[in-house]
Amino acid sequence: MQVFLDQVWTARWPLWDGFLLTIEIAAAAIACGTVLGCIVGIQLVFAPTLVRFPFRVYVDVMRGTPLLVLILAAFYIPSVAGLNLSATQAGILALTLFAGAHIGELLRGSLQAIPPGQAEAARSIGLTFPQMLAYVLLPQALRSALPPWINTGVELIKGSSLLSMIGVGELLLKTQEVIGRTFMTIEFYVFAGCLYLITNILLDQVGKTVERYAGGRS
Amino acid sequence: MSKTTIRIAAGIGLFALAMLQVPSASAQGKLQEVLSRGKLVVGTGSTNPPWHFRDEKGALVGFDIEVSKIIAQGLFGDPTKIEFVNQASDARIPNIVTGKVDIACQFVTVTAARAQQVAFTVPYYREGVSLMMVKGGRYADYAALKAAGNKVTISVLQNVFAEQMVRDALPEAKVDQFESVDLMYQALNSGRADAAATDSSSLRYYMKQNAGRYVDSGFSWNPQTYSCIVKQGDPDWLNFVNVALRESMTGTTFPLYKAAFELWFGETPPEPKIGFPYEFR
Repeated sequence: MQVFLDQVWTARWPLWDGFLLTIEIAAAAIACGTVLGCIVGIQLVFAPTLVRFPFRVYVDVMRGTPLLVLILAAFYIPSVAGLNLSATQAGILALTLFAGAHIGELLRGSLQAIPPGQAEAARSIGLTFPQMLAYVLLPQALRSALPPWINTGVELIKGSSLLSMIGVGELLLKTQEVIGRTFMTIEFYVFAGCLYLITNILLDQVGKTVERYAGGRS
Repeated sequence: MSKTTIRIAAGIGLFALAMLQVPSASAQGKLQEVLSRGKLVVGTGSTNPPWHFRDEKGALVGFDIEVSKIIAQGLFGDPTKIEFVNQASDARIPNIVTGKVDIACQFVTVTAARAQQVAFTVPYYREGVSLMMVKGGRYADYAALKAAGNKVTISVLQNVFAEQMVRDALPEAKVDQFESVDLMYQALNSGRADAAATDSSSLRYYMKQNAGRYVDSGFSWNPQTYSCIVKQGDPDWLNFVNVALRESMTGTTFPLYKAAFELWFGETPPEPKIGFPYEFR
């Protein structure tokens, strides 16, 4: 045990860098994914059939494809097309596309769960469509979308570990590098697993707190 | 099918066709491209000592890294002008084919099947499997292990071919497979296994790290050749890399290769013989 703790201490900076990168990647993906998801969710509910169709295809393709396949596609396809993304950029792109589809779909569900009377009432008092979204529909939809949104965040933190496959130096790859040097396989995998677990539990707790303040139905 | 759907489908088809016709390489060739860029982009890993791994300070080190430096030295007279792209073993060939890296030096085993997809450079190491034992243990060398028949237990890294691989050298030995390198070495240290069988380079490195604690059985088998890989279809680039590597093993840059070999494998490679160039023997 002492030997292991010494090795953790020796490797503290690489592991810390990896941990930070994991958080940064997940944060970037959830931020970009939320913007994308809001657009997608609104289109899925309100757009005319022809405009909705590509969004539907996007959501179904993203949700029906394993995340690892998405990551490899985001890494290799742009470079064939002459666009050179770094591994981290490609990874954020893949996670963003993944998150955008999931958030779009959960926002669609939340929007459609709002009783139609709300939209009718908004229209009858003369609100324009953007006003109706901003003041009536989105506040209600976002509240009920909050728990699954936090869940998507947890998925992204876990999913970011797959980026080690394309050489992004996040927590899992940094852990593997330490294992490569120290040969302490089980100890360091358990250590990394605990870090992921603690992070996700914390994120869950933050989500629950925000939920309480936002007065969401849980 | 509506007219719109057909149009959309046709559009996607045309777009896909256009993508296929994007010129894949620049007209000037890889060697000029690398020289004008001013740095070499090398694909390699970061988790496999003594080939490519991170030291305690987080710097990329290992024999593959030294080989890359030899090539950069040849290109720019400066071994530091390299950008290493970290890649998993499965990504070695795809990253070459899609042009993400100029060259990959990541213990790539030369096989005819792989040579259909990428171009191999001249080899820089011949890997094998060796047996390592605790110093002063029950068996002194390979002959003693073999003579003991089914009384010996060999610890080995879990893998489909592991059992057969050990049987090739020790037909009667018991084989214990372990999921990770540390467990395999632990079995040896605790006496559960009489010898550990794994890549010769890994054993050499481990023995160098733990000097005086282990001995090699003196027998190695299962040869496989390591080379760098480059994209097919650019003979000038391949020839350049070949010259840089070959001369590090036979000519002017031999001191670089020798120093790397001693550092990571703990032994000295044979000096090039002066006189007739023996690689043509």
